[in-house]
Amino acid sequence: MRVIFSNILAIYRKELQTYFASPLAAAIAGIFWFLSGVLFVRILFNATLTATQFDAQGQQIDLPSAVLQDFLGVLGFISLFILPMLSMSLYAEERKRGTLELLATSPITNWAVALGKLLAVLTFYISLVLPLMAYEAIVFSSTNPPFSPAVFLIGHAGLILLSAAILSLGMFISSLTDSTILAAILTFVLTLLLWLTDALAGNSGLLGDIFGQLSLLKHFTNLVQGVVDTSSLILFASYTVLGLFLTAQSVEAFRFQRS
Amino acid sequence: MIEVEHLSKSYGSTRAIEDVTFSVEPGEILGFLGPNGAGKTTTMRILSGYLPANEGTAKVAGFEVHENSMAVRKRIGYLPETPPLYPDMTVEGFLHFVARIKGVSAGDRIRQVDSALQRCNLTEKRKVLIRKLSKGFRQRVGIAQAIVHDPPAIILDEPTVGLDPRQIIEVRNLIKNLAGSHTVILSTHILPEASMTCNRIAIINKGRIVATNSPENLVEQLSGGAGYDLEVAGDASTIQQTLQSLPHVKEIAPLPLESETSHLRFRVTLQPGADLGQEIAARIVGAGIGLYEMRRFQVSLEDVFLQLTTEERSLEAADTDTDAEVDSTAESANSVESSDEGETA
Repeated sequence: MRVIFSNILAIYRKELQTYFASPLAAAIAGIFWFLSGVLFVRILFNATLTATQFDAQGQQIDLPSAVLQDFLGVLGFISLFILPMLSMSLYAEERKRGTLELLATSPITNWAVALGKLLAVLTFYISLVLPLMAYEAIVFSSTNPPFSPAVFLIGHAGLILLSAAILSLGMFISSLTDSTILAAILTFVLTLLLWLTDALAGNSGLLGDIFGQLSLLKHFTNLVQGVVDTSSLILFASYTVLGLFLTAQSVEAFRFQRS
Repeated sequence: MIEVEHLSKSYGSTRAIEDVTFSVEPGEILGFLGPNGAGKTTTMRILSGYLPANEGTAKVAGFEVHENSMAVRKRIGYLPETPPLYPDMTVEGFLHFVARIKGVSAGDRIRQVDSALQRCNLTEKRKVLIRKLSKGFRQRVGIAQAIVHDPPAIILDEPTVGLDPRQIIEVRNLIKNLAGSHTVILSTHILPEASMTCNRIAIINKGRIVATNSPENLVEQLSGGAGYDLEVAGDASTIQQTLQSLPHVKEIAPLPLESETSHLRFRVTLQPGADLGQEIAARIVGAGIGLYEMRRFQVSLEDVFLQLTTEERSLEAADTDTDAEVDSTAESANSVESSDEGETA
């Protein structure tokens, strides 16, 4: 057990180091922070406008929730584009460089490698989100009446869970090809399909129900609204575990089928 | 230490290796020699546990490579054809990473990494990013990576490919130093490399092992060693008799004629260590036989290699063409002989 843990940690540290040394990751972080910053300011301005309108009419609205929901929605949408770029090189690069041969001939299991990699890329993503949480917290702390930190935390936890699911599936796709670009595109397409699967299925009949439940957007929206639904947690966890499992299997299969 | 029995592997319908059997004793260096595409890399990959074999067994330190993969992985160091390196890591960082995933305990890691750096002459490059290293240094990092956990068995796939002559010598010395405490298998398509570094050589061609022996014995057993090629005019049996009576003559074999003349050609093979040039010439001239050409030949490992790999091809032709079986066997014998034309004296 200790050996497995130390293996996972070794992979985790190596991957994390790669992300923090990579110019591409830095560029992604820059774009992510810039876009989210600009959009947060915009959402905030709109909110103040709305607030003055409602004030003039003498009505009251829950402004902080609206801001949080808008902003997390925006972050989720930006992440759709960012996450495939983070997960694309997880395995594709190892395959291209031949380092997969090193990992596959070391006393370390496939799933330990996959788990280490997933945790590393997720950590990097979390490090992208944390600064945003800092300025959000400043804004929300000035609201009156005070805004519930639970809703704030649940919303962001939802964002992280969503990312874990997407990254895990992206990792699986990355393990299927030598080309990072192809991995990124395929991951993006898959994520988009899962994002909008309820819209695509329509809302009729059993099939529509099933596809509706698989939708990332639907369950993400639940969490963003502060609703902790077990089915949402299970869905994101299932996608994550599925991605890990498929990755381990595909790496194993890669060794058997290669010619 | 390493036992391989009846190993076969095919990719789809192409047979990569067939019925490969060999063993390596502890502390020995075995050279796996063969032309490109002979199945060297496939065999190495099976031994390392990277690829499964279709048939047969391969054991490292008593563990079957596929059934007991984890036990084997702990006991081998493996340098694939392309060194598996992470360009954005420093040499030292990379070796620490490898030591960690190979299960070197935290207390031993620094010492092991230092020793690997030292053995591979990388100490001064320890803080350099792998991306910035030259090909030769990268290859050395690849070897360091294979020995960092001090495994009993080391598998090196073409360790000197792409290096300059000075680096080749360094790497060869490094490999020689590994022998004794480690069992080493290295693959190469360069003959002198195998003969200089290895205790034993397994020659592989078209997926089959065609010979296994020490370099000296290979030359000794599979060729005639050294001798003379003669072109003479006279009666064949007289010439045979004349030369047969000389001491240290091992064999006298007729050679095919290169052009349309009435001359005869013979290959006189001598016992090792004997050089009878003077005596042969004197005997022939003394017997009144016309001597038109006398050329010394020395069979090298290169000739044996060529001989073995050419023979295989001819035999294969014989397999497909059963009508002309006798002819083609004779042909193959000829091709063997014509292939070991040595240096002229």
